[in-house]
Amino acid sequence: MLREEYRLHISYSSARMFLAIPVFVFIIATIMSLTLSNIQGSIGLKDLVTNLNAGVFLYGLSVGAFGFLGKTYVERRQGKQNFIVAMPALLPMSYCATFLGMFLRDVIFYLALMLLPAFLGLLAGALVVHHSLVSCLVVFVTMVLSFLFGVSLSFAVSVIGSRNRYAFAVLVTAILALLVGYGAFRLYGMETILPSLGFQYCLPPFGSDLGTAMMFLVLTILSFLALTFLAVVFVAESYEGESGRKKGPQPDKLPSYLPRFAFARSYQPLLAKEFVDLLRSGTLGKMTFTFIAPLTFLSFTTWYVNNGLNVPVGFNTVFYAAMVGFFGVMLYSWLTNMDVVDYYETLPVSVPKVIRSKLLVFLFLTLSISTAFVLMISYLNNETRLLWLALPVLFVTSVYMVVSMSYLTGLHPNSFLFSPDVLFKFTLVSLLPDICLTILSFSVDRDPLVTTAAILAVLGFLAVCTYILYRRLDRKWAGTGFN
Amino acid sequence: MAMPAIEVRDLRKKYSTVNALDGVTFTVPEGTFFGCFGPNGAGKSTLLKILTGQVPPTSGEVKVLGLDARDRGIEIRERVGIVPEVESPPSYLTAYEFLYFVAEVRKVDDIEAKIDRWLKFFDLEETKGTLCKDLSKGMRQKVMLSAAFIHEPPLLFLDEPFVNLDPIYQHKLREYLLQLREQGRTIFLCSHILEMAQKLCQEMVIINHGKVIAQGGVAELTAQEDLESLFLRMVGEDVPT
Repeated sequence: MLREEYRLHISYSSARMFLAIPVFVFIIATIMSLTLSNIQGSIGLKDLVTNLNAGVFLYGLSVGAFGFLGKTYVERRQGKQNFIVAMPALLPMSYCATFLGMFLRDVIFYLALMLLPAFLGLLAGALVVHHSLVSCLVVFVTMVLSFLFGVSLSFAVSVIGSRNRYAFAVLVTAILALLVGYGAFRLYGMETILPSLGFQYCLPPFGSDLGTAMMFLVLTILSFLALTFLAVVFVAESYEGESGRKKGPQPDKLPSYLPRFAFARSYQPLLAKEFVDLLRSGTLGKMTFTFIAPLTFLSFTTWYVNNGLNVPVGFNTVFYAAMVGFFGVMLYSWLTNMDVVDYYETLPVSVPKVIRSKLLVFLFLTLSISTAFVLMISYLNNETRLLWLALPVLFVTSVYMVVSMSYLTGLHPNSFLFSPDVLFKFTLVSLLPDICLTILSFSVDRDPLVTTAAILAVLGFLAVCTYILYRRLDRKWAGTGFN
Repeated sequence: MAMPAIEVRDLRKKYSTVNALDGVTFTVPEGTFFGCFGPNGAGKSTLLKILTGQVPPTSGEVKVLGLDARDRGIEIRERVGIVPEVESPPSYLTAYEFLYFVAEVRKVDDIEAKIDRWLKFFDLEETKGTLCKDLSKGMRQKVMLSAAFIHEPPLLFLDEPFVNLDPIYQHKLREYLLQLREQGRTIFLCSHILEMAQKLCQEMVIINHGKVIAQGGVAELTAQEDLESLFLRMVGEDVPT
């Protein structure tokens, strides 16, 4: 399984590019370790460690969420490649054993990919600037514990969620309540949510209570084991899932959808088909959730920064508009992941044409929801006066992001974003304008004239980039096949 | 002499270090039922993808219906019908909807009548409302065949068209292809069912390791032995005993 995972990742680019990820993490960790005293000028060591572990915990959560996918994941395919995890149906292997194997594989693989090089980088820096090596080891152990807790929690919740949606809703509500209890009301410390932090807080330089530290260590390990056990027990022995459920005869939708897209000329049948796919595959619901969840998270985070941490940052409607524009791009992945596209090879249709049809669908779907969100935020914040600027920010960033994504990844964003060079380029093209617009949005009220001019200049630049990338879609993707 | 429907000269396709096609040359005259045979991995599917403009060749010349396959793939696919190696109609369209979609993309006239004809031909009327993902493999193959035939193209590329079909529909399809041959349509067939291919094909090429190892008229090449024996003899070195 580990070998398959490695080969899958290097197939996205090359072994050299893939191995650049841990090297990159190592370098960043070394730089952070070397400049730790400077960093401490802006943020306290305890806050730094807390944020680091929160990040690692979230990383673990994202790794362990595959339990949701059930049979879809077990039968995971990349084009025509099959994986050993598709074998339980053919070999005398139980789904429980297979899922446990997949879980352990992911734990080992992603520990080795990120946390180990981070630790080695931390250690390398510590050797130069003479930080305590024991402290480095404690930080590493804490990070591993946070990761294990996150991955096992996510695995357990996602497996239970795949069996029973109500149980999933209850669990997620309980976790959110726990977060609100800490964030909004400070009813308990962060170590109540993330016991690995209790281990760290009890050891130098934050404390010297070895006994309590050991208690938190054991508690975290037991939680990890219990959650993993729970997940494995709840793995369904016989997945039918969506892919296994057959539906009866369906009413003919496509012919009735076609007239609605008459304006799209040669794209008419492609758009009609995309909308039929969206409805029948259930992707519309997943997309809506994927879009609304980060918006809710964003709203909560900004509220928490302002009210929970009492940091007076001016999150205004322009800021939200930029963020929504950047978040929306995730929906493009859903659109390209609804179904196989092999059959297009038999038709007089090019890859760029299918990409453009998906871009059109993206615009139809997202702009309405995004506009509604920005209008709502401006109304709630009494900032409707900023809408004239916020709406162009939303539209330009949305289109820029999705066109950049489609240019870089074509019809396979989920595969290409695993390629470090593509990921690097995408990070660059998305992060730089995002940071620019975020910083500028904070000064809208302070210096409206200059800020507005600067924001419009950024938007103009993004619009030009969008146009260039859109025109180059043909050159980049015309010679490629659908598979 | 009829104009060639397909002209391939010194065609090469290299994937990384693998030569999928290595100097392939042949011509398919218009109105010919042409067979392309070879063991697994010989390069047949790559050849078919290049001929239909899905994959560009590394070097060489490829013309289909007088169009250069390197840069006029869309025009080629407008004029031809293709049955791919793997039957994969869109999961969330019904059989009827997929044929409607194909007919719309291909701007076919009198769509309903043509869809009805193929639904009847392959006995898909009762399952026309079933999502393609819920159809059996054989049914999906019938849908893909219908999609390739619906615009009545002058040239057909068929990659293992008989796979997954029961003997009744294998026979029915064979009779239909023979009719097309009589009408002067050109058919390019890749198949491992050599007995069937021998009955259908007029000319053929055998490819192994990306190279042409035999080509000519089927009648001449099989005068002394049947196609299966010829095939095994030509690629014999690679056939486990």
